[in-house]
Amino acid sequence: MRQYTPNTEVDFVVIGSGAAGGIMAKQLSQAGFSVVVLEQGGWGKYGRDSEYTKDEWLNRNLPREDRLLSDPTRQRNTFRRNDKEKAAPGTHSYGCVVGGGTVTYGGSSWRHLPYEFNELSSDPTIPSGTGMADWPITYAEIEPYYVQAEWEMGISGERVNSPFVAPMSKDYPVPAVPLKSSGALFNTAAAKLGLTVVPGPLAIITRPYMGRAACVNCGICSGYGCHVRARSSSAVTVLPVAQKTGRCEIRANSYVREISVNNAGRVTGVIYFDGQKREIQQRAKAVVLSANGTESARLLLLSKSAKFPDGLANSNGVVGKYLMLGGGAGASGLFEHPLNEYKGVISGAGIVDFVPSDPKRGFYGGGRLTARGYETPLGMGLNGLSPDAPRWGAGYKKALREEANHKMAINCFVTQMPLETNRVDLDPDVKDEWGLPAMRITSTSHPDDIKNMEFFRQKSIEILQAAGATKIWANNVNDSRGGAHNRGSCRMGNDPKTSVVDKFHRAHDVPNLFVIDGSNLVTGGRNHPTMTIQALAYRAAEHLVKAAKTGILRTSA
Amino acid sequence: MSTRGKSRRSFLIESAAGLSGAWVAANYSGILAAEKYVLKAAQTGKPATFQFFTPDQAVEIEAMAAQIIPTDETPGAREARVINFIDRALSTFAKNSQAQYTKGLSELQAQTTQMFPTAAKFSALSSEQQIKVMTAMEKTPFFNTVRTHTVIGFFASPVHGGNQDKVGWKLIGYDDSLNFRPPFGYYDAQPQPRR
Repeated sequence: MRQYTPNTEVDFVVIGSGAAGGIMAKQLSQAGFSVVVLEQGGWGKYGRDSEYTKDEWLNRNLPREDRLLSDPTRQRNTFRRNDKEKAAPGTHSYGCVVGGGTVTYGGSSWRHLPYEFNELSSDPTIPSGTGMADWPITYAEIEPYYVQAEWEMGISGERVNSPFVAPMSKDYPVPAVPLKSSGALFNTAAAKLGLTVVPGPLAIITRPYMGRAACVNCGICSGYGCHVRARSSSAVTVLPVAQKTGRCEIRANSYVREISVNNAGRVTGVIYFDGQKREIQQRAKAVVLSANGTESARLLLLSKSAKFPDGLANSNGVVGKYLMLGGGAGASGLFEHPLNEYKGVISGAGIVDFVPSDPKRGFYGGGRLTARGYETPLGMGLNGLSPDAPRWGAGYKKALREEANHKMAINCFVTQMPLETNRVDLDPDVKDEWGLPAMRITSTSHPDDIKNMEFFRQKSIEILQAAGATKIWANNVNDSRGGAHNRGSCRMGNDPKTSVVDKFHRAHDVPNLFVIDGSNLVTGGRNHPTMTIQALAYRAAEHLVKAAKTGILRTSA
Repeated sequence: MSTRGKSRRSFLIESAAGLSGAWVAANYSGILAAEKYVLKAAQTGKPATFQFFTPDQAVEIEAMAAQIIPTDETPGAREARVINFIDRALSTFAKNSQAQYTKGLSELQAQTTQMFPTAAKFSALSSEQQIKVMTAMEKTPFFNTVRTHTVIGFFASPVHGGNQDKVGWKLIGYDDSLNFRPPFGYYDAQPQPRR
């Protein structure tokens, strides 16, 4: 792997190596630029994927150097529902390894729907007073990059002609994953209720593709590294290609604490802590920030200077605002015959008829129901049984015998409106393990979002009933407090007064700073963000390469 | 001998390996004495190597675990060697639970004495009496910890000391081969509607 010294002024530093950072590293280095990728997490089993454990207990207790997710006791964060509360220690966690969240995610790869890019202007029923806004780009503009992402990453799925699914100009490169029993029960319910079932598009390949093996349906999936490289993570797709160009260096265990600027307001590089917490300054002609939908905003807020006293690229005070953590709802049911949901992918078939908002429901919202089979032994034993099952004794053992393998779950992924008050900022009191102000999350969903979650909870119950469940239960809906689907805290837009980056992801305030990740999402869609992040990254990279080659960034290629 | 008897005997052999004769006697004396090859396995096995528990403490905690996941026609926490898992856990990643166990063991003794003044210890009670004591304690943090550790020891990979002979996985029909082809379950094996 090519290595650069910190004093070498590389063309680009890319902060983060996940869904967006990996793609940026590949596209920029392939175009001839020198690139240093700084990843906060460790290497994981990069390049030795067969060593990824499938041991459920071990995976919950990985030693620090093998962790795949951030650790809220180190990457401390706090949470409060509103400004009146004092924030309490939070549990927000995200992918934290070379490859980012794509190393462990379930792989859902839904596109945004066309109208989700101009939802505000296309739907008069959206309540006033929210932060809903149209994107600066249309579906037609991003569609070719969805295709590029699907084919370069390797997405399985089935092209569906439905008003509830985004239209595609090209098929998926590999077929959809096999139907699970939960999907078959979706079919049963859908036949009775007149609903539409589609296989979920997944970043999990079902036949050999681009030198990688097909999924073996091991069932120990989301939250684990993939031991056969079937999950199309950045770590097995774009990052190795970037490295092979000989122009891209990946530095793991590199935690950026500041993006530095000069008096002219241009970025000059970054300061980061290495694995021994030594401060290192890496010079760069431009910086690409792809640290995720919460950390990117935090890093900008941490990067205070005389020129940017309120944080970098934050002259309008928008950085951190309009955060969407992702709402959800669901239900579980038991069935007469075994489903064996522990086999195969986590995110199975989807029911898509309730994707659009419907004013008849009395609130704004919509979403997808997914058959979510993920029944691992420890999860089942600790808290997977129906809520009134005994927790110990003969009754507990009986319930284990009767319920395990007979259970299916429905998880719904729903709209969440951006609100100015929902945001990431710096906690005034709490510091992370590196002595930096901890991330503080303030979030309460709009009342319509809560009603929407309740609607999907009820729909889940109805569908389980129609599928013939012998017993059904559903937790109360719960507002999110963090997690992997964080979006929106550095929104893109044409107006420098109301957005952080322009339609090509350049910070309005800083000519050589680009923010490209989930933080740019203006609206959350129906929750699953990764495919849209990847499409945005391909689109941003194409523009950035063109712009850089004109010399405006003074880059060398 | 029936298949069921055979499998029961085989898990007892598995369980006995690696234990001292004394420890086995305290737990299985009546059953094991009848099976000379099991005794032989116990005699040739390595002595008990609990890192945290004394042999007496192990007997008490194992009695609790055996009520949390009892033995019936299939193996329970005892045969899964959950006690082995818990002892390892308390010597490694769950070191910060050691004090809770030490304190909890005296709470268990106190609860036992309070409810059954003539009993020497919890493990000496009848099963019905043990259930009464544990029901009285089931809201305590100690009980919750033992419950959690028992469940983990029963369902975590055998490499962690419990789930001996994969008895936990067998109970719930979990196949750990990590390589499957459809159909996975009953419903996806049925004819599906064409779309």
